[in-house]
Amino acid sequence: MTPVIELKNLRVTLGRREILKGISSRLGESGSGKAIGLLGPNGAGKSTLIRTLLGFHKASGGSARILGFDCHSQTRQVLSQVGYMPENDAFIAGMTAVRLLRVMGELSGLPERAALEKAHEVLFHVGLGEARYRPLGEYSLGMKQMAKLAQAIVHGPELVILDEPTNGLDPAARARMLRLVKEMKQDHGMNIVLCSHLLRDVEEVCDEVVILNEGAIVHHADLEAERRANRRFVELEVSGDDAGLAEALKRNDAEGVSEGAGRWRIVLPPAVEVDVIWRLASEQRLDIVRLTHRRDSLEEIFLKAVGHIQSTPGESTAPLEEVVVDGGS
Amino acid sequence: MAVHRRGYRRYEGERTGRAARLLVLPRFAWNQLMKQRFVVVIFMLALFWPVACMLFVYLANHRDLLIGVPADLTGFLNVNATFFVTFMNAQATFAVLLAAFAGPSLIAPDLGNGALSLYFSRPFSRGDYLLARMLVLLGIFAPVTWIPGIAIFLMQSGLAGWDWMAGNWVLGAGVVAGFLLWTFFVSLVAMTCSAYVKWRMVAGALVLGTFFVLAGAAEITAEVLEAEWPSAFNPARAMNQIWCTMLGAEPIPGPDALQSLLTLAALSVVMMVVLNRKIRPVEVLS
Repeated sequence: MTPVIELKNLRVTLGRREILKGISSRLGESGSGKAIGLLGPNGAGKSTLIRTLLGFHKASGGSARILGFDCHSQTRQVLSQVGYMPENDAFIAGMTAVRLLRVMGELSGLPERAALEKAHEVLFHVGLGEARYRPLGEYSLGMKQMAKLAQAIVHGPELVILDEPTNGLDPAARARMLRLVKEMKQDHGMNIVLCSHLLRDVEEVCDEVVILNEGAIVHHADLEAERRANRRFVELEVSGDDAGLAEALKRNDAEGVSEGAGRWRIVLPPAVEVDVIWRLASEQRLDIVRLTHRRDSLEEIFLKAVGHIQSTPGESTAPLEEVVVDGGS
Repeated sequence: MAVHRRGYRRYEGERTGRAARLLVLPRFAWNQLMKQRFVVVIFMLALFWPVACMLFVYLANHRDLLIGVPADLTGFLNVNATFFVTFMNAQATFAVLLAAFAGPSLIAPDLGNGALSLYFSRPFSRGDYLLARMLVLLGIFAPVTWIPGIAIFLMQSGLAGWDWMAGNWVLGAGVVAGFLLWTFFVSLVAMTCSAYVKWRMVAGALVLGTFFVLAGAAEITAEVLEAEWPSAFNPARAMNQIWCTMLGAEPIPGPDALQSLLTLAALSVVMMVVLNRKIRPVEVLS
């Protein structure tokens, strides 16, 4: 299968600063309708990577391919199969939404009649049907985000690149945006690249996640496999002598590391319930000060990848795929 | 089924070619421009002079209608290179006015609203964008420049006989080529101003300023330095000299056609460099 995105030692230098430092990866499979999350702290190189994929920046070394086409030498082929929702405000002044979408559809190669039809269709799909004849300048922030999404999918692209799609949205609008993104991949078979700093958005929508830090890919996780593993992460704080807790956890197939001062990070395998911790604490005569548990682990993966936490218990058993990191600082 | 009922489906039909995509922006821009009152007024005014010139051509070929008019006046009725250069100078002014009103709305709003990333994330390059924007201007200049010019030439040919046409074909070719050169230059000025200044009013003023202030500055410099070459930086004068040479009219004093052409070419290169720097999907601050 052709990967959706294939990066080979990709280097991008803007001015005198090297932003992407030789990254390599194969992400997604064409036609699979999967979403790839692009995560990273500010300045990690996420936007530069997206812009390089779109041909806005020229690679100073290596190559980037989308759906098998080279992003530099075959830009037209690439862009005819891509839809892009930029992070910043982007519209044409004085135009109504329906006209903007019609222009964008026609620029993507749709015949006049089809572009007009699709413009109406997509605007109803994203919930702007009633407002489609209003000038874009009069739209609220949430409506503008929806209009940007609409223009990205009006021509039915194979790959949709969304740069911070939930920026500035209220909770209801955010939920609607994420539902639309999920529909795009599940119902319409589009591949999605979602660039966001909101871990919850990525976790809710994406099947794979790539974490960038200082211009290098520092982690690539298969979230689907992660969900299938169904592990639970527990943060525990106890008072009393907890010296025997690690051993007790091991006897119950759980793993834990002490962070000192009675604080623990514990990974429970799928078969083990949280109740076991209460039982062990009671046996060890420990008072539980705090216990939080969650199934998601993306925050942990992210923090570890960007160096904020040293290690995660159960790392050796985690079904996470470590990625090739060719560059890095 | 009604569009709002059937839901979204990915488009999987035929795609249009590059030429069709190039005409998308001009089509929408012409539609918008024709809604601007000043553009329509200047456009209409620009058609009066060609009509007057056609009347002149008609009278020049029907001197029998001018019985009683003194001979020194009827002798003035000659359709020659000077007549066409005069016609072109008037229409060139209207082209500049049209550029001042129509040009700023082409690029400045796209830059101000971040629309370039929307265009360039499609199979539509920077070159396509600039060409499409230039087509908008060339499209509105054509009906007031080379189209009436060639119409007058053909009218004269029809009235004076095809022998006249065979002997003066250079006038027709010169009118078309001369206007194409001028409209290309004016379009570049308008696009550069629109790309450089985001405020439409200021961009419009800058277009007019480029022609009138540059003309004034060039002539003053020529006077101060007591040299002819600075006059070549007066775009209207430089183009006039080129037209005189192309049509075989009496050249005006000052830099010759080649010097004028080279100066306009140099100015065009500078404007293209500015456009190349400004028309980018993202601005990179290094």
